[in-house]
Amino acid sequence: MEPSLGDGGDLTVAELDRNAETLDATDQASARSRLIESGKRTGSMLVDVFRDDRMGQAGLAILLVFALTGLFAPLVVPHEPTEINRGDDGTTLRLDAPSAEHPLGTTNMGRDVLSQLMVGARVSLIVGFLAAFMAVTIGVNVGLISGYYGGWVDDLLMRITDIAYGLPFLPFVIVLVFLMGPSLLSIIIVIALLLWRSTARVIRSQVLSHKQRPYVESAQAVGASNLRIMYRHILPNVLPLAFLYGAFSVAWAVIAEASIAFLGFGDPAMMSWGQMLFEAYTADAIRFAWWWVVPPGVSIMIMVMSVFFIGRTLERVTNPELRHAE
Amino acid sequence: MTLLELDDLKTYYRTEDGWVQAADGINLELDENETLGLVGESGSGKTTVAKSLIKLLPDNAEIVDGEIRYKGADLTDLSMREIRNRIRWKEISMVPQNAMNGFDPVYTVGNQIVEAIQVHEPETSDAEAWGRARDLFDELGLDEDRVDDYPHQFSGGMAQRAMIALALAVKPSLILADEPTTALDVVIQDRILRTIEELQDEFDTAMIMITHDMSVVSESCDTIAVMYGGRLVEYADADTIIKNPRHPYTLGLRNAFPDITADDQELISIPGTPPDVVDPDEGCRFAPRCPFAEEECWEETPEPREFDDGHIVECHRADEAPLLREEAARKETWQQVAETEEPAQSPAGGASDD
Amino acid sequence: MGLREYIVRRIFQLLVTYWAFLTIIFVLFRVAPGDPTSMFVMDGLTGEQREREIARLGLDQPLHVQYVEYITQLLSGNFGTSFRYSEPVWDVLVVKFWNTILLMGTALIVAYILGITFGALLGWYRGKKVEKVGIVAGLVARSSPEFWTGIVLLSIFAFWLGWFPSGGMRSVGAEIGSFGERYFSADFVYHMVLPVLAGAIYYMATPLLLMRNTMMDILKADFIEVKKAEGLPERRILYRHAARNSILPIVTVAAIVSGTAIGGSLIIETVFNWPGMGREMIESVTYNDYPMAMGTFFLMGSVVIFMNFIADLAYVYLDPRVQYD
Repeated sequence: MEPSLGDGGDLTVAELDRNAETLDATDQASARSRLIESGKRTGSMLVDVFRDDRMGQAGLAILLVFALTGLFAPLVVPHEPTEINRGDDGTTLRLDAPSAEHPLGTTNMGRDVLSQLMVGARVSLIVGFLAAFMAVTIGVNVGLISGYYGGWVDDLLMRITDIAYGLPFLPFVIVLVFLMGPSLLSIIIVIALLLWRSTARVIRSQVLSHKQRPYVESAQAVGASNLRIMYRHILPNVLPLAFLYGAFSVAWAVIAEASIAFLGFGDPAMMSWGQMLFEAYTADAIRFAWWWVVPPGVSIMIMVMSVFFIGRTLERVTNPELRHAE
Repeated sequence: MTLLELDDLKTYYRTEDGWVQAADGINLELDENETLGLVGESGSGKTTVAKSLIKLLPDNAEIVDGEIRYKGADLTDLSMREIRNRIRWKEISMVPQNAMNGFDPVYTVGNQIVEAIQVHEPETSDAEAWGRARDLFDELGLDEDRVDDYPHQFSGGMAQRAMIALALAVKPSLILADEPTTALDVVIQDRILRTIEELQDEFDTAMIMITHDMSVVSESCDTIAVMYGGRLVEYADADTIIKNPRHPYTLGLRNAFPDITADDQELISIPGTPPDVVDPDEGCRFAPRCPFAEEECWEETPEPREFDDGHIVECHRADEAPLLREEAARKETWQQVAETEEPAQSPAGGASDD
Repeated sequence: MGLREYIVRRIFQLLVTYWAFLTIIFVLFRVAPGDPTSMFVMDGLTGEQREREIARLGLDQPLHVQYVEYITQLLSGNFGTSFRYSEPVWDVLVVKFWNTILLMGTALIVAYILGITFGALLGWYRGKKVEKVGIVAGLVARSSPEFWTGIVLLSIFAFWLGWFPSGGMRSVGAEIGSFGERYFSADFVYHMVLPVLAGAIYYMATPLLLMRNTMMDILKADFIEVKKAEGLPERRILYRHAARNSILPIVTVAAIVSGTAIGGSLIIETVFNWPGMGREMIESVTYNDYPMAMGTFFLMGSVVIFMNFIADLAYVYLDPRVQYD
């Protein structure tokens, strides 16, 4: 179907093959111990890789700060995010510049920006991780089944993936969110509904290369069921790659959620960074109220970046060559 | 006439652990139209020596000492730019180990030959350059029309021929052939070696053939240099190396490859792996794997000694050659090293050149 | 399997994908909402008017009849009448379609030229300081959603420095003449600079980082060493051989990136008030103009599917090793 190179797969596939090579040391081990072993291997590899990668550590640290902020925001916010703050003279504090009382100033409605910012971390985190988790779960399963069974199953699933690639992401999401109603849950589902496609493709190509390996053949020879081979034998080997795509998916999901909110289709009940920018933009505040615009924008950027940093580190697990090179 | 002369060439690699002495004090001579076999296991430094000539070395490599006199000029004095414009391909070209991977997959072979011609001879017209590419194909026994084929459309043997055509494109005086036939089966290997020999006469080209395979060099080389752990351990004309080798390592190498003419020859391999040559200690580098190593070998680095008629050997026991030859032919001699040596001296990884 | 057969097969796949896409639109816009009639019939009609309108649109027919009718209508370019404009959707969209294609197409081309060039350089100068800076810059660009990049650009170049207009497609009072006058005037280009830049910065990151990674792999290939040994100038090896080989995977993602860009038009056109499909879609969805929303979605999806197809064909052309199996 897809164009492929004479020497076995296109370039990215070749690359993946090579990655897979190193994860293959225990071909002969039994299925059970393989699973445990490879889990441990992946685990200790993760620890090792993060230990000597400052970028990855920074990513984890930033994410942790955001997570703690989101978790404890309701308890520690200086003001209620929706509260309309008033000055000493009783008038609404509209677009008040940063002060001791409002470290990041107020919005045009007199609401405290810092409080909104802190609460907003939750939406990004919830949507980012849940949507990514759903997307990767779908993607890994589609990739596994498609790659392992081949034939018409593969054909069918890959056509479906092609179709998913044919749908323009943001327009699809907007239409669906609109039809389903702008709740957090529908946003998560809709994002996951398209986000799985890249994971599916990449997992499939790695499964294809694993299918040829002796450990799969010997498992088949001793009569292991297909399900068992797929999930017990092959899955552990493609797991590191799934983690990598999980990290990327988190990044895309965070960006997607922010974009949806910025376009005015976010969950109105939950303050998010994208929504803050939407309100600031519609209030035409970007000309004069930098304190309202910069914090949410920078926060989105930093959160996505931290996830990419983690992704880069995970990339070294899946592609050991990078580990020595950089 | 002498074409190339290496005088005490030292090419080292900088690593975190220290200097890897990949080529350490190499002295060689090559006449015009002559073929030199550079033999050794991977990691012996043979590729480093060859690549030093055209400065095709990784960033962390450095020619720390010595001279490379080529047609009277010292190549180590030339800048990268001069090497690129005047030496590479024009004077010294190269045939890589795997020809198929040596071509850029997205251009036709002819296109790449023409590119080489026109870069070095910019005045050549397209038509003329393509004509030359076709002639070269013809010369190498390939169908002229195949210049328009892409590399992946060639078989291994044909790709190797096409690569030789590329190497001859601007008529160099020296070709570096890095294991030019190892990827091929024996019959094709033989035919290609013969083609190379013929063309060498015709194009009047010298060659350095880099290989680990004694049988290849014995057939097609005039002189042979054996390298081990960055040192040149034995150097003489091909006949002498084949018939009267004096270095235990050469003896071992000879055992490892079959002589097609002799029946029932038992193959014996040298136990152990090439040495780690990061800031090596005093002593013979081969001692850990040498069945004949004595106290002296561990403590003192042997100096090159000349035996009859330019036969250079770097071994303390080189003058006991007849005895060594006899012993080395027996399998037990080598097994004994494996048994005694392995636990004590665990071999470290090879040098970084291959 | 020969080239021709391969292309025929791809065309067949294209048709299947396209059919699936049309069906998805049908399901989304006619079947998914509880009462499809409410979507396609304007509010504020009397009961009788409403019935007549429903009958006219064929919404009282069985679903499969509606489906066939819908497909034929779409394929003949009839998307219905916009509620907001009271004009055929197609007439409204034709102009906006080109506004979007020009804007996003330019952004994509700029992104690809910059991404490939810088990505190739980063791969070539790996391990140097330049590379580190480049990677971080690439990551920052990719981590900033288009609306954020757009807002930053607006703040700096429109509001602070005042170099470029803050939005719109042409200055007030500018003459709108023929197609050529509309798109090839200095005023148009002047208005296009910031939105193109906002898009290009975001879309550049993918080809840039991918190009670098592939370059690093390609540079390890044997043939690069042979080209060096051939004495070819570095620049020639970098561009004619290493970059040329690294471009293959970039072509594959071009389709994906252009899909992102089509979707990105929603954001960039909103930020910069660009009168294109993207902004139209947001507005039509906000104002319940279903025929219009459907039309924009249809056009956007068509572009993405078409780009995927083109990318596949380009791949065949760029890589002589492709086997059509």
